[in-house]
Parts: sequence; C-alpha cells; structure tokens
Amino acid sequence: MEAVVQQPITRDAPVRLEGLGKEYGHFTALKALDLTVAEGTSLGFLGPNGAGKSTTIKIMTNLIRPSRGRAALFGIDVRREPTRALARIGAVIETPEFYGYLSPLETLAYAGRLRGMSSKDLRSRSEAVLKEVKLTEWADHRIQEFSKGMKQRLAIAQSLLHEPDLLILDEPTSGLDPRGMAEVRDVIKSLKDQGRTIFMSSHLLGEVQEVCDDVALLNHGELLIRGSVRELSRGADTSTIQATFLHPATPQDLEALAGLPGVEEVKPSSDSTVDLRITGGQEGQARVLEGMIARGLKVITYRPLGSSLEQLYLDRIQESDRL
Amino acid sequence: MTPSPLAQIVTVAAYEIRKYIRGRRLLGMLILLGLIVGLFVGLPPALGIKYASTPDAFISTFATFSGLLVVLGGVLFAADALVSEHEKRTGYFLFPNPVRREVLVLGKIVASLIVCTAVLSLYYGAAAIAALIITGSLTWEVGLSYLYTLGYMTAVVGVAYLLSALLKGTVAATVLTFFLFTLIFSIIGGILPRANVEPWFIPTSASGIIANALGGPAVRPGPGGGDVGFIPDPATSLLVFAGYAIAGGVLAILWYGRRELAS
Ligand SMILES: Nc1ncnc2c1ncn2[C@@H]1O[C@H](COP(=O)(O)OP(=O)(O)OP(=O)(O)O)[C@@H](O)[C@H]1O
Ligand SMILES: [Mg+2]
Repeated sequence: MEAVVQQPITRDAPVRLEGLGKEYGHFTALKALDLTVAEGTSLGFLGPNGAGKSTTIKIMTNLIRPSRGRAALFGIDVRREPTRALARIGAVIETPEFYGYLSPLETLAYAGRLRGMSSKDLRSRSEAVLKEVKLTEWADHRIQEFSKGMKQRLAIAQSLLHEPDLLILDEPTSGLDPRGMAEVRDVIKSLKDQGRTIFMSSHLLGEVQEVCDDVALLNHGELLIRGSVRELSRGADTSTIQATFLHPATPQDLEALAGLPGVEEVKPSSDSTVDLRITGGQEGQARVLEGMIARGLKVITYRPLGSSLEQLYLDRIQESDRL
Repeated sequence: MTPSPLAQIVTVAAYEIRKYIRGRRLLGMLILLGLIVGLFVGLPPALGIKYASTPDAFISTFATFSGLLVVLGGVLFAADALVSEHEKRTGYFLFPNPVRREVLVLGKIVASLIVCTAVLSLYYGAAAIAALIITGSLTWEVGLSYLYTLGYMTAVVGVAYLLSALLKGTVAATVLTFFLFTLIFSIIGGILPRANVEPWFIPTSASGIIANALGGPAVRPGPGGGDVGFIPDPATSLLVFAGYAIAGGVLAILWYGRRELAS
C-alpha cells in the first residue's frame, strides 16, 4: 500500500504568488506581491511589524481570501483547490493553539488521520517528530498544561508530521528559549539539506542568514528587496563598526577618526569605545582600521555591530518609510 | 493521499465527541439528568404522594423537561463548536490541513447530533425503565414522544450551528442559543395566537408535540396568562423541525466556508 503513493515530481514552483493583494476594510495590508520560491530553496520573509507577512502566509494556507491576485502551491491554486494545494505542505501560523483536552500524540493523530496517514506511519512519524522537537516526555500529557514554548514546539512537530515538500513557517522560533531556537533552526536546516522547500517569516536576521538561501523584504505590503542572502550581505555598502581602544579616545582622536576616508559618522558609546558608520564595504572597514593604527590608537577590538544584512534591512526600511 | 470527505467527516466527528466527553460538559449533563430522574422517582414516596398510574401520565412529567434538555444540549454540544476555532485560535492548527471547511462543519454537526441523541436517549431510557417498574407497562406514545424530542433537537442544533458560524464569540453564541429557545421563540409563539396567527412555524411552539404525544396539557396558556393556546400538529411540526435543521446547517456551512481566520 505505502509503496506507490509517491507524488509525481512536477516542475511547478512550490510557491508562486502573482499580484497578491489584501484589504482589511479600507486598510491595504498587501498591495500586489509577486514572489516565487524555487524547489529546494529556502526563503526568509522579512519585514517590520505589520508589513504583511502573516497576511501573505494566511492567504497561502487558505485562512483568508486574497482581495486580488492568486497564490499557487506546486502549481495548484489555493483558492480553487485548497485540499490539493495544502496536501503537500506543512505550516506553522502565528503560534497556533491546540485542543487542550488532547495530548501531543493525539493531536498528531488527528492531523495525520485528516491527511490519510496509515496507523503505522503515524506511529513512527509521531515518535520521530516529537523527538525532534524534544517533546517525547510530554507525548501523553494534556496540552492544557503546556507552556507557550512547548506549544510552539508541537506546532513545529505537526508541520513536519507528513514529511511535507514545502514548509510555511510564520516566525517559527517565536516564544522559544535560546536553546529551543537553536534546536528548531537545526531542524529546519536539516530539512533544507533534505531538499525540502522552506518559506519562513522571521524577525531574527541572524536566523535568516543562518537558515535561508534567499530573502524577501516586505514593508507596508510591498516587496522592497528580493535576492540571495550571500549577495545581499556582500552588497551592503555601509556598516557599523564598534571599536574599543586600550586608552580613552581624546576629542582630537574622534575628530581625526571622523576625517578618515569612508567614515560617515563617529559616535562615542563610552570613554574608550566608539561606533563608526563606514562606507566602502569590507575594504572601507580595513582602511579605517589602518588609519586608526597609523594614528597610534591601540585597538583592542574592532567588530561589526549587527550584520551587514541588518544594516541593509534598516536602510531600506528607513528609505521606504520616508517615501 | 488525502482521504475521502466522508472519511474526514468521521475523523472530525470522532475527535469532537472526544472533546465533549473529556471537557466535562457531558459529565455535567449526565449529573443533571440523574438529578431530574432522581427527583421524579424519589420525591413522591418521600412526600407520601402516589405516582401517576399510567405510563403516559408518568412519563409526561419527564417530557415537560425534554425541551429544556434539548436546548441545553444545543448550548453545550453545538453552539460554540464553530466559533471556538476562531476565538481559541485552534483554527490555526486545524484549517491548514487538507480538509474543506464544509467537511469540518459536517463532522462537527455529526458529533453534536450523536452526543445530543445519546443524552436524550439516556433520559427517555431512564424514564421508560422507571415507568415500567412503577406502572408495570409502557406504551408506543412514549417512543413517539422520544422521536419528537430528537426531531426538535435537530432543529436546535441546526440553529445553534448557524449562530456559531455567524457570531464572533463563544459566549455570544451560547447565550443567544439559550435565550432564543427559552425566551424569544416562546414569547413570539405565545403572542402570535393573539393576533390570530398560528405559530406552527415557531420551533418552541412546534415542540409542544413532545408532551402532547403523551396526552399532556393540550392547550397551554400564552404568556401573561392569556387563555389563547395552540395545538401543534405532529406532521407539520416535524417538517418545521427539519426545515430549521436543514436551513441552519446549510447556512452554517456556507457562511463558515467564507469566514476568514484573521485576528
Ligand atoms: N483582521 C484584520 N483586520 C484588520 N487589519 C488587520 C487584520 N489582520 C491584520 N491587519 C493589519 O494588516 C497589516 C499586516 O498585518 P500582518 O499580520 O500581515 O503583519 P506581519 O508582517 O505579520 O507583522 P508581525 O511582524 O507583527 O507579525 C497590519 O497593519 C495589521 O494591523
Ligand atoms: Mg505576523
């Protein structure tokens, strides 16, 4: 029975959003989003609070209707054929709640039955996913006693249950403790290594940088950037560097620093620490360090404050907010 | 592969029934049943009163409460079934599964009907056994009253689901279901005859057939003690029940299918 149910491999992109828009009353949450995610890649979906990330994800999972445009998963229109479109995906949306009267095992069984998993599959997969999110000990406890983080772990587990080809995750690590976050990141990375496609919203740029190949940046319901993490990180021209000196920097030192080529701004954050905004990419950073040493400043540390992706994010959001 | 809609309905119904069993509501309902039966059977000897001598008369005292039990069933086992998925956010887990919203509603309705039927069957079963022991016999009218009760129950469940699909909160849905059937419909059904309109289409008025089947008070006074009564016709009433059940269920499915999960 279980041998030949393998899905045919289609060439349709796992995610294709075309002119997707959504209005809540008179408020436009999403304008006209075009976005494609290729098979086997992982996309980090970024944007400030209220940018429209969850709105997009809810349309993709048929929780809300788009006001215009369409969302297709593996070439299947979500509105027209929701069950077929959702059959190959696993989703975590906005920290879901679970039925308090069920245990994690029963919850997984409910989802598994709705998806038509065999009892045998269900048993082995439930065990595996609960182990993966470290809920094995709690497998038979009623969910009503669970903490927020435990529910989030269960949310991850149920999204993985049927080994979906596409994972749609809305802030998957929110509510988790630092170790939980790292564990979930590892789970997602290993799924990526297995060739599954991942669509993941997040506020944690480090997380996106670690897990995702590509990023899309959304603000006010509009796509600002879409590109590969590597290129965008490299391409960021300005960065903020924090330098610490052995001795406090004098006002003359600060003035001299501000005069170095490529330095846009010098902001002392304590006696012997300054934050510098530097243009010219990594070469610019190297030149400034040379300049400091040439001036006789004893540099103890010299490190970027935040990633260059973060800088890019902040710059572009600020730019689009100004418009 | 995703199972057939029918198989999914069975799955949904099974988990919903489990919810009612574990959620203590069923326990509460059973305690209430025990209390009613206990009072009817225990109180007369304690007070030195004689039991009714015929099974119909004996059970008609039970039957006067059938309607209330039906409404309580609708409140406890139907009214919040749909709206709670939104209010409690469990929809974020349930809805992204490959299952149509219509299938979810149907599965839930099936569960509500099964649980309500079980509760009412227990009530009539207990009443029938008590009648058999005390009066030594039973009649077909008891079975008829039971079937009419089930018919009324489907109407209440249908309306409860419609309210559950429409309203924003579980409290609103349950409270409105309760007052609709205990107050609003009764008042309308009581006043209409005074305007020379027969309230055959009001479900609470139609539910008079439950008691009337046992030769209960055929003409009951309207509100305010007026003496204008209405004797519902069984066949018409059953059609009315079916109408409310089907209209309520269908509208609930249509509306819930369009309802968005955004909060
Ligand atoms: N049901 C709703 N009714 C009205 N407005 C809504 C509704 N849901 C969302 N919005 C608005 O739509 C905008 C986008 O919301 P959305 O939840 O998609 O943002 P988000 O990018 O996920 O933000 P966050 O990072 O805070 O999760 C917000 O301004 C929000 O206020
Ligand atoms: Mg969000």
